[in-house]
Amino acid sequence: MNAQRLETSRLFQRFGFGPRPGEYAAALKSGVVATRTKLLTVPAVDAGAAAIPAPAITDLGPRPAPNSKEVVPFAIELRNQISIMTLWWLDRMALSDNGLTERMTWFWHGHWATSIQKVNFAMPMYRQINTLRTNALGNFKNMSRAMINDGALQFWLDGQDSTLKAPNENLGRELMELFVLGVDRYTEDDVKAAARALTGYQVKLSSGDVTFEPKRHDPTLITILGTTQAFTGETLSDFLVARNDCQKFIPERLWYRFISSTNPMPDSFSAVSAFSGREISAAVNAMANDAAMRDESNDLVKSPVEWFISACRALGLTPSKLTTPGQLVSYLDKLGQVPLNPPNVGGWPAAEAWLSSATAQTRIAFAAWLIKQADLKVLTDIPVENRVLKSADWLGVAEWTPRTQAALRNSLADPAQFALLALCSPEFIVSA
Amino acid sequence: MDTVTRRKFLKLTSGAVAVGAAAPLLSIEEIAQAAITRPLPANTPILVVITLYGGNDGLNTVIPYKDPIYFSSRPDISYKPETMLPLDAELALNPSMKGLKALWDQKKVAIVRGVGYPDPDHSHFSSMAKWQTASPAKHIATGWLGRWVDTQEEDALLAISLGSVLPPMLAGAKRSGSALPLGGLVIPKGDLATQCLKLSRPVQKDSKLMAAAATSMRNLFNISTSVQPILKSPAPVAPDLPTTNGGNAGGDSNLAQQLDVVAKLIAAGSPTKVWSVSLGGFDTHANESNAQAELLGVVSDSLSRFMGQLKATTRSNDVTIMVYSEFGRRVAGNGSQGTDHGTSGPMFVIGNSVKGGFYGDQPSLKNLVKGDLAVTTDFRDVYATMIEKVLKSPVDPTLGKWAGRVDCLN
Repeated sequence: MNAQRLETSRLFQRFGFGPRPGEYAAALKSGVVATRTKLLTVPAVDAGAAAIPAPAITDLGPRPAPNSKEVVPFAIELRNQISIMTLWWLDRMALSDNGLTERMTWFWHGHWATSIQKVNFAMPMYRQINTLRTNALGNFKNMSRAMINDGALQFWLDGQDSTLKAPNENLGRELMELFVLGVDRYTEDDVKAAARALTGYQVKLSSGDVTFEPKRHDPTLITILGTTQAFTGETLSDFLVARNDCQKFIPERLWYRFISSTNPMPDSFSAVSAFSGREISAAVNAMANDAAMRDESNDLVKSPVEWFISACRALGLTPSKLTTPGQLVSYLDKLGQVPLNPPNVGGWPAAEAWLSSATAQTRIAFAAWLIKQADLKVLTDIPVENRVLKSADWLGVAEWTPRTQAALRNSLADPAQFALLALCSPEFIVSA
Repeated sequence: MDTVTRRKFLKLTSGAVAVGAAAPLLSIEEIAQAAITRPLPANTPILVVITLYGGNDGLNTVIPYKDPIYFSSRPDISYKPETMLPLDAELALNPSMKGLKALWDQKKVAIVRGVGYPDPDHSHFSSMAKWQTASPAKHIATGWLGRWVDTQEEDALLAISLGSVLPPMLAGAKRSGSALPLGGLVIPKGDLATQCLKLSRPVQKDSKLMAAAATSMRNLFNISTSVQPILKSPAPVAPDLPTTNGGNAGGDSNLAQQLDVVAKLIAAGSPTKVWSVSLGGFDTHANESNAQAELLGVVSDSLSRFMGQLKATTRSNDVTIMVYSEFGRRVAGNGSQGTDHGTSGPMFVIGNSVKGGFYGDQPSLKNLVKGDLAVTTDFRDVYATMIEKVLKSPVDPTLGKWAGRVDCLN
């Protein structure tokens, strides 16, 4: 496979949500170094993202009693807010000029995976997404502290039920296992101790406001990972983030989502040393420059949202304008990935989990539905004699296999079918 | 951990089949009433695996109702003895599991007690991976039933999971089980179908993931031609359950819907020897009693409905059901009316060929291991029994040398 095409394709697919028409061919002309710099440089103002208005998310107040007459308008407004928030985020992914910020926000959403199914209010989730975006390329110590003070996360992991008298282990365990250190880098006693350190938080769920009540907090000396001191949630967060295991764990998660979910991270992965100051942007930059980006064996399956957004960018579609938003969410649900709805606190699966016969059938129907709403001029403008090979540039695909070339060649007379086959091809589903 | 609530069940079950429009897609209504050309031979045993995601609280499922420690360790979330469903002088079922109790009384339920693995892991993900790969000591990429699939002739219909995401349990090294979405399949036809099949051809330089992407589409066509007509037919009627408003009890849950499809396909003779279905939501760190009782009620009602449906088929004696979760929960309640992650828990094995009763030792509430229940039976004993007795296959290729068995099947 042509090395430049492969690396350029990976930069577009993994550090953004795929190229818009023309971007991949232009990037091949400017070279890998210039392309990498461009894709990794977040502009001060992103005109594409700035044009998307913020959604009107409000504090809906306490949930009315079941079967009361107030509950119906409440439920309608809640559903409406969740819908506009989801579409707003998908629009930002599809329409940002530079994709890195949204791509990282999306990564962190899967990392601190919180589900609106349990939170069941829009505002705390909206605040969480904005917190993730603000910190997406910042310092991980600040991000972790901000998440300890995040109402949606606290409620999701029962933090508000965890008190001096009865500590609840849910948040403490996941903080160590899934968010900061990684599994098996602590003992069960450390989990119990972390639960005590995290006691005392209260959440006003409708707004996501978090308060700390010293009376509910365990102020005694606690031993965690061999260190004995009086901890608060924030000092626990700082303590864990400072551990060497955190310096390894976050690069491991980056490796899993950006480089390979099937090959293990080698010790030499340059993002590890780059993360010594816990600067996320430094780790991401190191990762984008790492030799692993040029290793052919590091292919990755696009998750359903990544596949959908890259199709939108290629087809010039705006998610919120698709008819109808309900149908869009239904397709994503059938593929197993709706933003704000991770299946559990571990986030979404990867690799073969997205490659079932069931997802194959949904992807075909979904692609057909998108193509019906798209202007295929970008495809039909490619002279028919070049269209098969040039369509790889359109989609940022490094190389079509002979099987896909054959299927596309047989569909030249039917641009809609041509586009559908291209979007459902193994080469577009998998980032080579 | 898991977010599948009753509300979500309802949402999922009411969801219509998504039909794309631009391309020539086949709708269920258009599909011919073809018969399955290669039905599973009569009397072939079938395994149905039910995964309960989130860590089901075993102590509030099979309850030591005479043990004072049970009541004193979890005052907020213990059940009143008079509401429980006694199984013998020491153990009782959760009050919501009336359907399962009826099957127990018919000697169709084996309860394996204290099931787990050495060095219990309290992480949902690690623990579920250990159960699904059947490799507690070392993480490996294949699932135990996926390795069994590897030993069989290639057949996309051999092992099927309901829902769109394939569980790791069914991932093999060479081949994997298939996933079948609820609500049936809509597959391309005409020239699009021809070209899709072209796209799904393996090519030599395919990476493993590219090959999997191609195979998933190929399997779609294989599955759809044989399974599709069956999904159109109504589910077998369970003759001994009351019908209310167009559905038997339990019919509004996603688990019941999955088992409905399984029952239909078993009745029709689908050449499938392994089925995988699941229910989530068992991670009850807070307000456990209501949530768990509701979920266990769904499990119990769905099982009795499913067993009733099988009764109306010729295959009721062929089916064995196995129910498990990634761990049980801590003995003591946590003060949020819930429980934190624990270790061992009961497994259920259900079917007409089952020798009903208890297997394995009930873990003591007095002699805890670091505050948790001891593991008295290794889950691989149960798996080995399923492979040998149900799937009629040697154990070694799937579990390696493994001597333990649970003598719960005729």
